Amino acid sequence: MTDWFDANIVLIQSTFVSLLLALSIQVPLRAGVFSFAGIGSYGVGAYTAAIVTINYEWPAFAAIAAGVVIAAAIGYLLALLLSRLGGLYLGMATIAYSLIFSVFVINGGELTGGAQGLFGAISDLTTGGVIGVTVVVVVLLALSERGRIGRRIAAVREDPELAMSTGVPVLAIRQLSFVVSGALGACAGAMNTLLRSTVSPDEIGFQLVVLALTMIIVGGSRSWLGAFIGAVIFTWLPSVLEFVGDWQTVVYGVLVALAAIFVPGGLLGVLQQGYRRWRRRALPIGGTA
Amino acid sequence: MAQNLINAVTLGSLYLLFALGMSLAWGTIGILNFAHGSIFMFSSFTCYLLVQHIALPMPLMILIGLVVGAVLSVLVQVLAFEPIKRRNPDPHRAELQILVGGIGIAGIPLAVAQHLTKSVPFGYSKSTFEVEVLHLGPVQLTNVQLVILAAALVLAGGVGWWLRSARAGLALRAIGVDAEVAGILGVNRRRLALGTMAVAGALAGVAGVLLTYYLGSIAAESGDAFLLKAFAAIVLGGIGSVGGAVAGAMILALAETAVVTQTSGMWVDAVSFGLIFAVLLLRPRGLFGRREVRRT
Repeated sequence: MTDWFDANIVLIQSTFVSLLLALSIQVPLRAGVFSFAGIGSYGVGAYTAAIVTINYEWPAFAAIAAGVVIAAAIGYLLALLLSRLGGLYLGMATIAYSLIFSVFVINGGELTGGAQGLFGAISDLTTGGVIGVTVVVVVLLALSERGRIGRRIAAVREDPELAMSTGVPVLAIRQLSFVVSGALGACAGAMNTLLRSTVSPDEIGFQLVVLALTMIIVGGSRSWLGAFIGAVIFTWLPSVLEFVGDWQTVVYGVLVALAAIFVPGGLLGVLQQGYRRWRRRALPIGGTA
Repeated sequence: MAQNLINAVTLGSLYLLFALGMSLAWGTIGILNFAHGSIFMFSSFTCYLLVQHIALPMPLMILIGLVVGAVLSVLVQVLAFEPIKRRNPDPHRAELQILVGGIGIAGIPLAVAQHLTKSVPFGYSKSTFEVEVLHLGPVQLTNVQLVILAAALVLAGGVGWWLRSARAGLALRAIGVDAEVAGILGVNRRRLALGTMAVAGALAGVAGVLLTYYLGSIAAESGDAFLLKAFAAIVLGGIGSVGGAVAGAMILALAETAVVTQTSGMWVDAVSFGLIFAVLLLRPRGLFGRREVRRT
């Protein structure tokens, strides 16, 4: 067990970072907000953590917290600015925000290290720390999927007008989803930087938008469990697909396309459906669970 | 100055050819095709594969690019977007699935091209076409640029005229306003959707071949960059409007050329993203977009 753990330490760390990144896109999506600002926040977190670690030698958790606070504040500003937009327009505006960030850091001079990025952000962040933070986040999000608050978020997504008329604070929930998305994205970015000790502008590109989105769609977009399934699949798939050799990226594209077309609820949806069918068959008609 | 202007208009014409089909499909049949960039690249790539074996002249290359683009685009529509629309009656959900499906499909031609070229840029050095430079007073113009300008003028003009004057164009615009009512009035939605996707793909194919002639060579990843620029152009001009696409593509190209010539060139990518952001904030329907009227 420990051998396996040590041999795959990088993949294990990436799984949790990817999970946080996927959640930063999923949280707004659950509230019916189509925002990719989490990718820009990933960049904000990554660069903030690198800068304070290299220049001021802040401890890991302070560096992560700095990125999270800044990205959450930017998230709130974006929520105020973009409140008029909806649907694909909002998606496009937030993609633009995320990609413009990488242009800024390329031109950031000494502070951001230009096109090469920053090196030597060595910190004391451990795998246990990463897992701990992720578990706390997941527990909080799992709570937000249940009971009163879960129903409110679902109402905001499915029918904002109806939700508003029944007294659900639609605007506040949507703004909050921007802030949470910013914090989660920054957390993922900061942890990734501190684990790898480097960050470069190439990391924060269109590819990252694609990766985060595919993780949620293939896994399932309604629950943290879906994001987890997606994060596990897309972190480990490249090493599983090694046997197809050079055609790996082709297989990857086919899988994503098939999932988007034929499994709209994601793998989580398939599992839940299968479970419900199995339970119905296991119980006699009219029986209680 | 005049030279920069001509180069900017050439670039704008390429953006226009690429963005027009995307804008048309998005504004009428409601499909934002993320595989458009891959179709564009793969049409050009197919021509490259052919020209490695047979020295083809330029008009034939453009025709091949056009056909490959149209076929790929129709395939994507039939194999991916139609099943998604059938399975998702809710338009917002379908929108998201189409977006993701397009992203997934876009990865396939890209991966194939990257695999076959080993990610090295490809060009048409074996084509029979020779680049000639024409001197017109203070400016120079290559024959490739002339072909690009003519193609953009004819194709964009043709699409604009067809949407405005042809019966099928009217039917297509009717779908854009209200798909269900248009269907009740006897518009064959499926056939028009396929036709629109074919036209969009054909325009992208032509743009891909012309871009490769213009730059000498392109890389497999060029499609992604064009996709994002096309968004900027479409959003700037207003979705579904031909005049808007022309204005958006030209403004984007002029702004980019100005940034490249006036600064160190590092900021050029910020232009398109900055424009998307600014336009969405100030005029969310674009410069020429029509205001949506909802009657209940």
